[in-house]
This record gives sequence, C-alpha cells and structure tokens, in this order.
Amino acid sequence: MTARDRIRDENLHAGYGEQEILRAITCSFVPGTFTGIIGPNGSGKTTLLRAFSRVVPSAGVLTLEGRDVRNYTPSELGMALGFVPQDEERPFSFTVMQVVLMSRYVRASRFASLSPGDYARCREALEETGTAHLADRSIRTLSGGEWQRVLIARALAQDTPVLLLDEPTSHLDLAHQAEVLSLLRRLAGAGRTVIGVFHDLNLAALYCDRLIMVCDGRIVTDGTPAQVLTAQRIRQVYGADVVTSCHPATGRVFLLPVHAAARPPGAARLNVTVVSGGGSGASLFHFLAGRSFVLSAGVLATTDTDYLAATALEIPCIPIPPFSQIPAAALEDLRGVLAGADRVVLSAHPVGPGNLPMLLALGGVDPSRLVVHLPGGRDFGSYDFVGGNAAAAYRGLVDAGARCTVTYGGVLAFLDGHAAGHGGRGP
Amino acid sequence: MSCTPFALAGRAATVTRTVPVILGLGVAALITIVLCTLTGPAGFGIPSVGPGGADIVGGIRLPRVLAAFFVGGCLAVAGAAMQALFRNPMADPYILGTSSGGALGAALAIVFLGGLYVPAFAWLGAFIAMLIVWSIAGQKGAISVETLLLTGIAVSFFFSAVVSFLVAIAGQSVHQIIFWMMGGFWNASPGDALLAAVILVLAGAALFAVARDLNALSLGEETAVHLGIDTARVRWTVLGSSTLLVAGAVSIAGSVGFVGLVTPHIVRMLLGPDNRVVIPACVLAGGILLVVSDTLARAFFSDISVGIITAFIGAPFFVWLIYRRGQTA
Repeated sequence: MTARDRIRDENLHAGYGEQEILRAITCSFVPGTFTGIIGPNGSGKTTLLRAFSRVVPSAGVLTLEGRDVRNYTPSELGMALGFVPQDEERPFSFTVMQVVLMSRYVRASRFASLSPGDYARCREALEETGTAHLADRSIRTLSGGEWQRVLIARALAQDTPVLLLDEPTSHLDLAHQAEVLSLLRRLAGAGRTVIGVFHDLNLAALYCDRLIMVCDGRIVTDGTPAQVLTAQRIRQVYGADVVTSCHPATGRVFLLPVHAAARPPGAARLNVTVVSGGGSGASLFHFLAGRSFVLSAGVLATTDTDYLAATALEIPCIPIPPFSQIPAAALEDLRGVLAGADRVVLSAHPVGPGNLPMLLALGGVDPSRLVVHLPGGRDFGSYDFVGGNAAAAYRGLVDAGARCTVTYGGVLAFLDGHAAGHGGRGP
Repeated sequence: MSCTPFALAGRAATVTRTVPVILGLGVAALITIVLCTLTGPAGFGIPSVGPGGADIVGGIRLPRVLAAFFVGGCLAVAGAAMQALFRNPMADPYILGTSSGGALGAALAIVFLGGLYVPAFAWLGAFIAMLIVWSIAGQKGAISVETLLLTGIAVSFFFSAVVSFLVAIAGQSVHQIIFWMMGGFWNASPGDALLAAVILVLAGAALFAVARDLNALSLGEETAVHLGIDTARVRWTVLGSSTLLVAGAVSIAGSVGFVGLVTPHIVRMLLGPDNRVVIPACVLAGGILLVVSDTLARAFFSDISVGIITAFIGAPFFVWLIYRRGQTA
C-alpha cells in the first residue's frame, strides 16, 4: 500500500440486496499495470469491477487516487474511470461514431457542441480498435465482436487513468483477441491502470502483469501469472485438472486441461509401467491418468514429449540426458521398475541404437503381463532404425505370448483383466 | 485518411441533415396551422356565413388548432423522453397508464362534482397514475422496463374498469365521460392553447437540457454512470417533465392515444436517435400530427373524437413495430 496506489480497497464488501457477493476483498492497483481478475463462474469477478465503478454499492475502504470513490461526483467519476461492459443493449440505431462521441460528453459543456479535437480523439480510438471503417454504421447492424470493439474504443476515447474491462475479448476471434490485449498492454505501459476480468486463463497469463484469483467473493491468490496459475490451485478453485506448461514462444505459464475419468475410491490399484519414446506415450499417459492405476514410465530423454507429459501428470519415469546412450544405471533402474509392475504396456516407438537396450530389457518381462500398443497396426519394421534388430525384438515379444492391440480400449481391456485367452497375433 | 477531414466531415454530415429537416418541419408546422385553421365542415377558406365567419376562424378554429398543436407537441416530446429513459421504443404515456388515470380523474369529477374542476381532476388523475406506475416499477432502485410496461398495462386496465363502472352509473353525464376517455378538442379555448404552450416550453426546455445525457442513458443505466452522467438527475427530470406534459395534455384534451408513440418513431427514422435533435423535432412533428388528425375528425368525420383518428393510425403502426422488432431480434 503505497502513495502510488491508484485504486485501493480494504475489507471491501459488496452485493445485491441481501446477497453478499464480495467478502473482505483487499487489494490495490498502481499505475502502469495490467491486472487480470480470474475465478470460476459466480465468484464475484464482475461484481468487484462494478464495485470499483460504484454501480454496485459496497462497504469498506475504496479509494481512487487517494479519495473515497463514493465522494466523487458523477462527472468526476466519468473522467477518472472508463468501463467496458461485456455487452450492452442497442435499442436505438445510433451510429458507431455517435456512441464513441458519448465518451466526450463528460468533458464538454452541456449545450456546446463537441470540438474537432473530440472528433479526432474518437476517430483515433476507432482506429486503435480496428473499427474506423464502421464509424457511420448503425450500431444495431454490428456483429457481437464489432460491437465489443466499439465499446472498447469508447472507453479509450474517454481518456481515463483507470480502465476496467469485463471480459473484453469474450466475443472476439483469435486475431482480434490478440490485437485488443496487445493494445491494453500498451495502454498499461503508457501509465494507465488496466484491470480486466478474464475467463480464458491462458490469454490472461499471456498478457497480464498480475493476476488476482477470486473465489466465493474472496481473493485466493494475487501475484504473477506463474505464481497464481499452478495445477494444484486450479484444481482447488475450479475443480478442474490441468497441467501447467511453458508457452513455447513467450515462456509464460500455460495451462492445458486434462481429461479426468472418475477415480473409483479404494479399489485395488494395479502397478502399470508404460514404456514409450519419441512422443508415442504422451496421449496414452493422459488416457490412463485418472483411472485406478499406479502409473510409471520407462526411460525417457528430458527433451522427449513423453517426458514432459509424464512430469506434468506426475508420473515417475527414469530421466536421461537427450541424444545419449541409456546409461547402465538407468537400465538397472528400468529392470527394477519392470519387475515391480503388475502390467507393462509397450507403446510402439521408433527404436535406434540409443534406446534399443530398453526394448531388449522387456525380454525379461513375463509375456502374459505385457501388452504391445501398435497404433494403426503398422509393421514393426517401420519402427526399426537399427537394421532389423528392433523389429525382431518387437516380434519376439509377441511370439513369446505378449498381447498386441491397436486401440487404447484394447490396452485398457488388458489392464482390467478382461483379455480373454492369450495374446493376439502380431503383424 | 487523416483524422481532421474525417472529423469535420462526420460533424458536417450530422449538421447538413438535421438543420434542413428541422427547418422544413417548422415551415410545415406553420403551413399546417394556417391550412387547418382555414379548413372546416363548410369547406376551405373563411366561411361566408354572414358577419360571424371571421369570428369562427379566429375565435373557435384557431384556438382549437393551436391547442391541438401544443398538446400534440407535449405528447410527442414526453413519448420521446420516456422511450429513451426506459430504453424501449414501445413506451408511451397511453401505454403506461397515464392517460387512463387522467380519464378516471375527469370521470370522478363529472360524476361526483357535477362537472366542476374536471381539468384539474384529469391532471391529478394522470399524475397519480404515473406515480403509482413508477413507484411499483421502480421499487428496487433501477427501473426495469418490463416491469414498467406490465405495471402500466395493469394500472391502465384497472383505471379503465373504474371508468366503465362510473359510466354505468353516470346516467346523463355519460357523454362527458366518453369525451375524456376518447379525447378531443371540442371545447378548446385560447386559455387551453396557452396552458399547453407554457407547459411545452417549460418541460420541453428541461428535457432538451438533458437530451445529451438521455442519449447515453438510452444505452443503459450503468453505461450512463460510466460515462460520467448524473443518472438520478436525468431520471427525475424526465419523470417530472413528462408527467407535467402528459397530465397537462390530458387535462386539456382527454386521453389521446398513440401520438406519443408514433411521432418519436417517425422522427428517429428521419433524423436518427440523437435526442438533441429528436426532442425539438418532436415538438413540431407531434403538433402537425395532432392538428391534421383533429382537422380530419372535424372536417370530414362530423367531428368525431380525435382519439379515434389517432388510434386508427397508431394501432396498426404499433403492430407493425412489434412485427419488425420480431424480425430484427
């Protein structure tokens, strides 16, 4: 809490009539930041924004530039604070320009007409949001996305130090989302305080300097996107399973939802080891994660997609440096893991001199506990990059009685013990 | 394209269209007043039925035409302001129960006071009806448009039922009550015309002063707050002024329907929805509409109630509006 705070609230309560939506919110906002407010549906995000702009009555400390917001006159508030709603009624056919010009009412005298400077500012705001070509169109003829950008233009032209936006990208396509959010970043960079409510956590993580996660009318966490968006917190607040990763282009935190099947409680859990490589096992990990298995993975290079997937899903594996022979110690670990597994799934993957020892190690596994997943029923030869040894090793496992299946369903049936008789025929 | 030429062009475009249309309406209003004053059941021109001809025009027709003109302006301006405030192009003093309140007030005075203070009671009835509708609809702070329309319809039905009951027990004064229910300018005096003109100037000026704010308010209450507008002040200005306008109109002419609904629509079609243009244009267009309707009633339909003529025009127009809304929604 410094003197630089533009908005500061302490112990803020707000709601509609009897129903209290916000309970004891305390946070503050400095100039030049882009903050995202996130949280599940009904958590109070929009109410928080509307409490800031005074359209929802609130109790507790709420200051804007050091002054109690409730003491602002309507026009002072209009000059201090711009607001972009999610949507807005369009009962009358004003032109786009007329609507954007409304942002300048607060600065112009009641009876004087607006100045050329006001028109120029509005035109500029339309250009910044890519809606200049719509200036003379009736607002009733605009698409949802066009209308949303016009509403953003109107708030820009209001030239307020604080800009509040309620899901400003909810109606926008991919390109316009990026355009609008980059614009908001630039505005924050130029000293404005930009606060937006977001549903898309990845977009928020990508563009916001700071995220405030709200749940049930309270702030859960407040910090940088990487601090706020952890898999554990998402599970706790949203009740959703995600894996966190790194945005390949920006290095920012990135979330991916995980398909989670119901976990039968208390069932005897089978130890299953998935041996894979070159990305062949990642989607199998996701398929099996969340079912009643204790999963482990084989030897994986740390650059392998399978390694990233296993790490994200908290599946233990035996990591090795990329582009190297499997060290003897790792092979020893693998034999230990395989010996402890109730079932072993071999996900067919390309085999070169480097990882051939892992495939050969499977020769020591009881064939009745082994299933080979061969997507598309391809020939083992297509996985062989060591001149026939790998294909022969694959075929040897099947000939010894390992089951072979082309579908995930087949793998699951085997693991659940529904596999009738002994293994199917390999190609 | 650089900023400046566009800005000036945008500004010029609004001005170039608005000014001639308003001027044209003004000229049309003058012509309408003159022509309609000269029109009567006896034909066009100053009647040559003896020495009283000029008196008929100056003493009877002119006050009636002027009263119709100003009452038409009152109703149209009130309708325009209500439609913007409630963000609903269907809002209208007639639909919101005000007119039936006026008719009830008049009917009560006719039945129980033997016809004394009828205009005052009509005014009071209209005023009370508006208060009832707004206090019910505005219970939770912000006024919900749907609640408002439904409340208006309910109040309207209730008052009409009371009026019908009074008609049943009224005996000889039935005709007088019918007059207040249907509306007309049979007894319009120079005083009536003056009263309507004064109300129109005062309330019209108050509404014009908040016309710009009404533009923002017509996009939503919260939008207006966010654009820095004192919404409470605008709301009370509109409610107070339109009550004054409608109650005044009802006390002079009874409940004339649809002028307040149709006129703002026509004006917005011609000039767009900017209330700084719509409000002055409605004064002129509403006046013209009601003068023409009254002249039709007087000269061609053996002086039937003008409310019948406006309903003939207005009701199909209302249906067309609903139809068109259904299509664009």
